[in-house]
Amino acid sequence: MKIVMVLLLLWCSSGFAAEDKYEFSNQERASTFRELTHELRCPKCQNQNIADSDAIVAKDLRDKVLNLVNEGKSKQEVIDYMIDRYGYFVHYQPPVTPATIILWVLPILIVIIGFGVIVFRHKKASSKQTWSPEDEQQLTKLIQQYQRREQ
Amino acid sequence: MNRKLLGLIPFLIFTLLCVFLYQGLFGNPRELQTGRIGHTMPSFTLPDLMDSQKQWQNKDLLGEVYLLNVWGTWCPTCVAELSYLTELKEQGVKIVGLYYEQAYDPDFGDRFDINKLRVEVQTMLARTGNPYQFNILDLERTLALDLGVSGAPETFLVDKQGTILLHHTGDINQRVWRAKFAPKIMELTQ
Repeated sequence: MKIVMVLLLLWCSSGFAAEDKYEFSNQERASTFRELTHELRCPKCQNQNIADSDAIVAKDLRDKVLNLVNEGKSKQEVIDYMIDRYGYFVHYQPPVTPATIILWVLPILIVIIGFGVIVFRHKKASSKQTWSPEDEQQLTKLIQQYQRREQ
Repeated sequence: MNRKLLGLIPFLIFTLLCVFLYQGLFGNPRELQTGRIGHTMPSFTLPDLMDSQKQWQNKDLLGEVYLLNVWGTWCPTCVAELSYLTELKEQGVKIVGLYYEQAYDPDFGDRFDINKLRVEVQTMLARTGNPYQFNILDLERTLALDLGVSGAPETFLVDKQGTILLHHTGDINQRVWRAKFAPKIMELTQ
């Protein structure tokens, strides 16, 4: 049984390797292509990247990315090319614009507000407490009381 | 009093979050803001679907307001909207078809039979009504990619200068027409 499973596993991995049919002139382009197809989002199957999706449009986008990369276009140029056509939606990394700035600001704001509240409450609590001579007397009395008990 | 107000803050945040998420339930994720709106039609040279000798270019389309309808006989929703589009054509709307061929992929050694496709298109249009002035065949889907098309049916509204004003994903029916297209066209003709 184990042998069968191992064989099955080997078969799967060889099948996976065979899918890699794209050819590049250098390693850098190959890795740019891989990064891009994992970062660009399929406009049809919206929760998949274009490497993952089987939609026609995803295949067209993969082919286009391949052509552009082989023409020597940089990663950012390809991303801009796609955003030009498919909008910001097509890239999984949203740009910083007035509409999206909240994504970055909100978490920081929450942390700052949280710390603010802690500091504020702490200060308020400590300023409320006063220490009078009577308190001092009561403290020494209590200390003596407990010391005697221990002995 | 102040303490009570402070205590309300988490509840307030919770309510806002609820409203935000609830709203999300009714949003249409297919409604995309593609990059081409407000830009001119990309340049292209593509053959006519019915006549391979005839080549269409973007400058042939200038001078009139028109709808560019991306469709294919393989797409059921496209077929469903054909009769409504025909009604629109009878009202005087110029509609140009961009034929989006799905099955063709030269990487797999597919051979493309244009005659078979023409017969298929003709039979279909004879049945539903023909809304198109003409059809452009985008076999390699290059114009579709330049337009940010993600599938079919999709429809663009283009003005006289060739500027893309609307990009609608999905079928066109009376509701969509009245809500989205008619007001824009009114604006243009005024």
